[in-house]
Amino acid sequence: MSGTSTIAKNAAPVIAASSIDEGHRTKPIPFGNALIELARTRPEIVGMSADLAKYTDMHIFAEAYPDRFYQMGMSEQLMATAAGGLAKEGFIPFATTYATFASRRCYDFMSQAVAEQDASVKLIGGLPGLTTGYGPSHQATDDIAIFRAMPNMVVIDPCDAHEIEQMVPAIADYDGPVYSRILRGNVAVVLDEYDYRFELGKAALLRGGRDVLIISTGFMTMRALDSAKELQADGIDVAVLHVPTIKPLDEMTILREAKRTGRLIVTAENHSCVGGLGEAVASCLSMNGVSAEMRRIALPDRFLAAGTLEVLQERYGITRAAVSRNIRRWL
Amino acid sequence: MNQHANLHNSALADHAYRVRRNALVMAETQGQGYIAQALGVADVLTVTYFHAMKHRPDQPDWEGRDRFLLSVGHYGIAHYAVLVAAGYLPEEELPTYALDDSRLPMSGMTSYTPGAEMSGGSIGLGLPMAVGMGMGLKRKKSKSFIYTLMGDGELAEGPTWEAAISASNYRLDNIIAIVDFNQVQADGPSMKVMNTEPVVDKFEAFGFYVQRIDGNNLSALVAAFDRAREYAEPKPRIIICDTKMGCGVDFLEGREKSHFIRLGEEDWKRAYEALDKGRSK
Repeated sequence: MSGTSTIAKNAAPVIAASSIDEGHRTKPIPFGNALIELARTRPEIVGMSADLAKYTDMHIFAEAYPDRFYQMGMSEQLMATAAGGLAKEGFIPFATTYATFASRRCYDFMSQAVAEQDASVKLIGGLPGLTTGYGPSHQATDDIAIFRAMPNMVVIDPCDAHEIEQMVPAIADYDGPVYSRILRGNVAVVLDEYDYRFELGKAALLRGGRDVLIISTGFMTMRALDSAKELQADGIDVAVLHVPTIKPLDEMTILREAKRTGRLIVTAENHSCVGGLGEAVASCLSMNGVSAEMRRIALPDRFLAAGTLEVLQERYGITRAAVSRNIRRWL
Repeated sequence: MNQHANLHNSALADHAYRVRRNALVMAETQGQGYIAQALGVADVLTVTYFHAMKHRPDQPDWEGRDRFLLSVGHYGIAHYAVLVAAGYLPEEELPTYALDDSRLPMSGMTSYTPGAEMSGGSIGLGLPMAVGMGMGLKRKKSKSFIYTLMGDGELAEGPTWEAAISASNYRLDNIIAIVDFNQVQADGPSMKVMNTEPVVDKFEAFGFYVQRIDGNNLSALVAAFDRAREYAEPKPRIIICDTKMGCGVDFLEGREKSHFIRLGEEDWKRAYEALDKGRSK
């Protein structure tokens, strides 16, 4: 070891769960506020968390409705199963933990106590994909793949605060099991500029473009839109199709857009390249006889490093700059 | 015991005989299966359904019912035996056990069978599910109890203890857990596979009102279920039932490797005879 330290002090934060990019307005605690608002008129809504209420924006629901919140302690398996029990008794539990624990820890319990019984449980995963530098224990790079494989599950990755606010009542209205990621804290507001409304199971074309079609989900839609603006200056015309519901997939809209020839198709997701949106779209196209040139922006199939988020997101290619750089390279 | 109680127990003994007989019919259909567990737990289920629980067999979703959660899914055979005896299902369906399109699958599932309130089988789900339902029933100000039947091997499952902590924390005095302590699990004698004793001390330490009784003694079962329901303190309740695998059919009682039994045609005939002989004693 040499005596010279190359470690930067006071670097970018390790956790920035919502990954707000420069230039965006923000809104505080969209999930918690939306749930409080919904609970005003829906007495059957209850909240649960496995010792992560504070870090999944459930804490404000717990403060607003202390008698409707169940602190389950660090027992994710119990939380998933007990949520199934509450749903059997006619309640609609919103149960939160980090996305890694929601998926890896709860799998069998969600499968048998919730999905197989088609129980109306809404499992909410904070810290989606690469939104923490804590390393693989906290980086939910496989949650979407895990829940896509579970029959009956609806799987959602919302983009911004605007969408989270609309997603919460929509999934409460849906009588069945749902897994949704959320962004917490101060969350970017992006989609209101695009006259967008969340509809369960629907993809939405946010902007048209002749050269490239980005099919994206989660906050990668924010980056796709920002990248599209950037590439416009280089004369590259990029369309963005936002797919918040990954299961069931809006195949009709995806096929309609993918069939427009002459565009490079790029999928973009804050998730492993295995089992997420990219593979879902590829499967949809090939099973429907649509042959198209496709590229994928996704996290690699490996355990990601620990460190600062800014550096990691750039290293693994999911920043706006990486999206633009790759598209230029692929054209 | 007074005369009234004797009459009561004689009716229960008739039901218990019927439950065992129903189980034999199902097991014979397959020529094999979890018959030793079904015979062993027959008295427990008889007292649960014919003495303790408030329920309406012709209205399985009646809101005022006590809930019954079969955590040990492979005890489906025992559960169907009592559901048929109680009138949830017609006796004619017994020989469809585990066949295609039957309402009586090998492992109990809620979507298949009237009166089945949960899909068990992935062991360790019963008590956690009871916690959620217990919370839900309390929210509804319901007086119903949730009974959940677990096996002794299941006590090695982590979620059982997560649920035990939570049931006590939330003072879920509407939970009556039942453990069929038959000392056998898939890989051998339960306490050799994983010694979970001292079970009574453990559940007491977790804040339960615990009873341990002879699970093949109808009077003891009746008294234990009565105490569990009437216990005044706001604690979850558990009844550890020491049962005998194969109980009621002498040549199956105490048989080794009884987790999953295969018998020949003649043996099934012998089993009915043994059951009848035991009854007339």
